[in-house]
Amino acid sequence: MSRPIPRPYSLLAEVTYRCPLHCPYCSNPTQFSRTAAELTRDEWKRVLDEAAELGALHVGFSGGEPLQRPDLAELVAASCAAGLYSNLITSAIGLSRPRAEELKAAGLDSVQISFQSDEEPLADRIAGTKSHASKLEAARLVREIGFPLTINIVLHRGNIARVARIVALAETLGAERLELANTQFYGWAFQNRSALLPTRDQIEDATAVALAAKNRLLGKMEILFVAPDYYGTRPKPCMNGWGNRHLTVNPVGDVLPCPTAGGIKSLRFENIREKPLRWIWTESESFNRFRGTEWMPEPCQSCEFREIDFGGCRCQAALLTGDAATTDPACSLSPFREQLTRFVESIQGATEKGFEADTSSVAYRENPA
Amino acid sequence: MSPILPGERPKLSSRARLQKDKVTGKPILLYPEGILILNPTAHAIVTHCTGAETFEDIVAKLAAQYGASPEDLRADVTTCLDRFRSLNLLEMLA
Repeated sequence: MSRPIPRPYSLLAEVTYRCPLHCPYCSNPTQFSRTAAELTRDEWKRVLDEAAELGALHVGFSGGEPLQRPDLAELVAASCAAGLYSNLITSAIGLSRPRAEELKAAGLDSVQISFQSDEEPLADRIAGTKSHASKLEAARLVREIGFPLTINIVLHRGNIARVARIVALAETLGAERLELANTQFYGWAFQNRSALLPTRDQIEDATAVALAAKNRLLGKMEILFVAPDYYGTRPKPCMNGWGNRHLTVNPVGDVLPCPTAGGIKSLRFENIREKPLRWIWTESESFNRFRGTEWMPEPCQSCEFREIDFGGCRCQAALLTGDAATTDPACSLSPFREQLTRFVESIQGATEKGFEADTSSVAYRENPA
Repeated sequence: MSPILPGERPKLSSRARLQKDKVTGKPILLYPEGILILNPTAHAIVTHCTGAETFEDIVAKLAAQYGASPEDLRADVTTCLDRFRSLNLLEMLA
């Protein structure tokens, strides 16, 4: 490497794949590792300490549903002791008052609750289980206890027309940040992409509504609108570069440059049961494979944007071209862009009803054994 | 955002945590999904955002601390506070 190894700024701790919801846009792997193989409490504590030592400042406790781990508060306390800013990324199912108070006492800094829609029947249909009402209750509890609240909603063809009402819900709940995140097509979402991808008109409408809300609520609620890269001409600067700022540790201890990198079958990812985190971050083949710009093929190698978008997303390249080392097909310069555009065009004119009309066209996320 | 009034008292939001970066020793603000690395001026301003001091108090104290005139500092402090406000990191108490 010609440049120094960067430090990670954030750790995503996927403490379990178990989840009470079955959202068909889940980015978790479609082939799960077994629950019995999950890292223990002490193994997680070591991961948290080692990540903080490497320079990480943020930890997101995620999954699956992190509340499925009875020892979550102990992990939060360990992250707090290590100086990490902690965020619970949750469906809120299982967030009872005693549980929320236990997490507060352990030093949890903030809570992010996922919603599926602003209204119950659709939300429950998307989640594949009755959950919306308890989310509302948990969100109120979170504010009452004094956690900063982020609401995250994954947008797709079946709910994207409701952005204005979703913003109103976030305001009512006192959220300080709202993530309007269009589905990213990995894992279960990739499998279901024909049913999930919004139409171009839907995206344009939602973008305008989100921008107006962002301006109106500036200083009160931070609003993030993530447009789907399938409609873009430049790829997203995925993770701000491979092995550059972020690391994910999955439920069984595999260390990944992003949550979905495990899907890249041409790479072997290291496990914290076998190697120290520092070695994995700095020395491993998997973290160095796509670091910097030297690995890049054309048209990336000579592209003026190579330090801006880093060639886009390696997982998406692998999914759409079969080769993780190619230019992300979301880029207009990719030789595979035409194929992606054909897919995008194929869904124009599709019913905007999505989930309202038909849930038989999607595969709901299942749980690990 | 409305302009900052002289008598308003900025208070760092409970979303934000001020700490020292172990790697660089620099002051940083941590908040959900975000990190701000503070320069010495921004750091000095943040330490006054306790909800006890008015905007004018803060300007006067920093002017004394840096040996500058309040007139010179007012625009800089405003810019800095507005940046924090736009990230939803400040409450402005009346």
